[in-house]
Amino acid sequence: MCDFDALWSDVLRIFPVLGGANAVSNDPVEENVFQNVRQHLMMLGSIDTFAALVDLEIQSTIRNVLVPKFWKHIHDCLVSSKLQGWINDQALAIEALPDKNGLFTQFIDAINELHDSFQSLMQVKPRLIQLVGAETKPAGKTVKLMQEDGIKNSLRDCLLAQLPPNFSVVVGAFYWVHFKLFTKASNLALTTVDSDVFDELLCVGCNFEAEQCCCQRLTDMVNKTNMKLFEMNLIDRLTGSALTALIKLKIKEHISDTCMGIFDRSHLKQLETWLSDVIMSWLTNIFTEWKSKDSINDIEVPESVKSFKVKLTYFMYETFAQSVIGQFFSIIIDYPDSIPAIDDLKICMEKIDMRVYLTESLRSSLEARILHPGVNTMDILTGYVAAIKAIRHLDSTGVILEMVTAPIKDYLRKRNDTVRRVVTGLTEEGPTDLSEELAKGETIKECKDSGTDEFSNWENWQPDPFGIDASIMQYNSSRKMRSADIISMVVDIYGSKELFMTEYRNLMADRLLAQLDFNSEKEIRNLELLKIRFGESLLHSCEVMLKDVTDSKRINAHIHSDGDRTENQLFDISSLIVSAQFWPSFNKESLQLPEEIENEFKKYTKAYEAYKGNRTLNWRTVTGRVNIEIEIGDRTMEMVVSPILAVIIYHFQNKNEWAIEDLSSITKVPASALRRRLSFWQNHGLISETTPGIFTLLEKESEKSQYEDMSLAEADEEDLESAMASASDQREEELQVFWSYIVGMLTNLDSMPIDRIHQMLKLFASHSGGVEFTQDELKHFLQRKVREHKLIFSGGVYQLAK
Amino acid sequence: MKVTIKSWTGVATWRWIANDENCGICRMSFESTCPECALPGDDCPLVWGVCSHCFHMHCIVKWLNLQPLNKQCPMCRQSWKFNVH
Repeated sequence: MCDFDALWSDVLRIFPVLGGANAVSNDPVEENVFQNVRQHLMMLGSIDTFAALVDLEIQSTIRNVLVPKFWKHIHDCLVSSKLQGWINDQALAIEALPDKNGLFTQFIDAINELHDSFQSLMQVKPRLIQLVGAETKPAGKTVKLMQEDGIKNSLRDCLLAQLPPNFSVVVGAFYWVHFKLFTKASNLALTTVDSDVFDELLCVGCNFEAEQCCCQRLTDMVNKTNMKLFEMNLIDRLTGSALTALIKLKIKEHISDTCMGIFDRSHLKQLETWLSDVIMSWLTNIFTEWKSKDSINDIEVPESVKSFKVKLTYFMYETFAQSVIGQFFSIIIDYPDSIPAIDDLKICMEKIDMRVYLTESLRSSLEARILHPGVNTMDILTGYVAAIKAIRHLDSTGVILEMVTAPIKDYLRKRNDTVRRVVTGLTEEGPTDLSEELAKGETIKECKDSGTDEFSNWENWQPDPFGIDASIMQYNSSRKMRSADIISMVVDIYGSKELFMTEYRNLMADRLLAQLDFNSEKEIRNLELLKIRFGESLLHSCEVMLKDVTDSKRINAHIHSDGDRTENQLFDISSLIVSAQFWPSFNKESLQLPEEIENEFKKYTKAYEAYKGNRTLNWRTVTGRVNIEIEIGDRTMEMVVSPILAVIIYHFQNKNEWAIEDLSSITKVPASALRRRLSFWQNHGLISETTPGIFTLLEKESEKSQYEDMSLAEADEEDLESAMASASDQREEELQVFWSYIVGMLTNLDSMPIDRIHQMLKLFASHSGGVEFTQDELKHFLQRKVREHKLIFSGGVYQLAK
Repeated sequence: MKVTIKSWTGVATWRWIANDENCGICRMSFESTCPECALPGDDCPLVWGVCSHCFHMHCIVKWLNLQPLNKQCPMCRQSWKFNVH
């Protein structure tokens, strides 16, 4: 009927794809050939079948020829760049690529080839329409070709279906080069030291020598490639994720380049400008640059770029916040210079919830940096105070503060010199600024007020901020505590003001006794400040102590002015006369004075008794300062020493040689303590231990005289020893009250375990002065009694020793 | 060798010369204060009766004011007279 061979050759001319040949020729085909084929197919009634056939063939070409070829290219790239294995982090992979420029060109080649094939396939569609006729609507649903974007979609589907895992790395490399070109072109490249140096030798953009710079050429290539990708509708799906990863990498680099370690100015503004100026205009460039200017009449930002912007702004804030949080310890230490950084973080935290991350990271960095044995208590306190200030600035509700500082408090509680350091910090100038805080004189709220606050002021109640792990918050951390000021936060480490005030009293006693200069103005000032804060009742003893100092000054002046007394006295006596009830108890050292010295003291006592009727003095001879002058040979030494030292050397006046036992019995100082004191005079070359236990005065100037210069320094050192009983000694004394109860209990009940003893004593304790004590303290006390053989401990129970 | 003591700054505690340690009325130590006072010593002195008992002055005055008729020593029930030294 007709010539099928001729028809087929015509068909092949129109649709070279059907020949199975890869060669995709685009020879123009004359109109009459179309007419001829159409006629014949109409006659055969198989025009639909034919269309389906063409469609199928195109699909298979895409799947079996185009796509594998493209991926083969990419695969070759990766093999040639020796990238092995699958690297999880895209950003890292891009950074680690050895030969980005190579990948860049190979990627462009691959895309070009893909695009050429794509172009020729696209020609099939109009031909088919021409053949079939636009007016007839064949069963279009089955023929993908006829749908809009049919070929693009199937190409994309096939590409994605065979996507090799490392592909994004290649895309990343491509855009990495492009970014470099772009930043160079828009003069926004970060001029680091390195690039300055190489500027004259190599172009920053293309790494070629400046004269042969090919940036422009490369940029054109990139723009063409972008256009091709866009035409094939591939730009979003194929490059989106790689592009995001690359930009994230760039953001991270930028933040760490520009913001690392700089806390004294705000970065957010500058970062936002950078994002919109550099990153966003680059993205817009990728998506629109290749279009001719008139096709984008009003510089319209494509939808995809807009969505990128939202994503990237969020990411930038997140990265920046993480970087700030990562350095928050340094920020704390730098406070208040670091306030801008904290303000930045505050803005970030409003946009992104970083609360949990912040607390976790800050807790761990604090633990790593300051909460270990190598750090001074003073430094921990300084850090604690700085942390309070800095975190306050960040979060005024105090919730973060509470969570972050809980470990510091716990740790400080375990150090036994904490209270001492806090008190020192309060009263002396130091790095913690505690004394300044104290001087500010903010008063803490009255407990009564804050107790009823939540109920009476309920209209202003605010819920706690979100994102708090309820288990971290301690049940007793009320609103009041969180809003307390710094001094209260520091004192609060121990949970009780009483303990703190006791320690303050002990330290003040030590200072007053060490100085003995009857000058208490500074102490009085501190005390007044403390009174404002902690109330008068806790500091009552301290007040009496300071009054003792001023009274003593007056009494001394009065006694010295008494003419009768001054006539035949051996030396001047001044005395600090203390009210024993209000001072911490003295330790139990004693010292017997030589008779003639004691007489002088008796005279002073008499004068006192005459001045203050019905009162007398008990001398505490161990404590004090003695100004002595020693004449030996042709030397005279004048020095200030403690009474024991003075008495020792005084005894050597009458007798050149002393056995330590004799000296011990005459001074009533234990031999061991005496030996320690004697070493002071040995160091001065006045006394030497000629035979063990026998000390002899060295009348002649000996070779030891070079020690003379040290006299005052060493005397001062001796003075530093505390005259007061230590806090734990005092505590034991308090517990001593219960000893009779314990003996009574054990006599009646024979043997008891510690928890029962503790319970019973708590019953009694509530009646007798309310001394509070823990089971641990009781255990220490009972163990001491066991050591003293007053108790027997066996099988978990205590018994009286028989 | 000659040792000359030029001056001596010592420390002493003061106490009342009394035949008891605690005030019979407030049970506080004599060297401490009566319940109303803050500062011991001159500001809260002791007084002696002819019966030789002694109390914080504030305590015994308060006690005596509470006795409508015969003012007695709270310890020995003898009529109270101040012993002026």
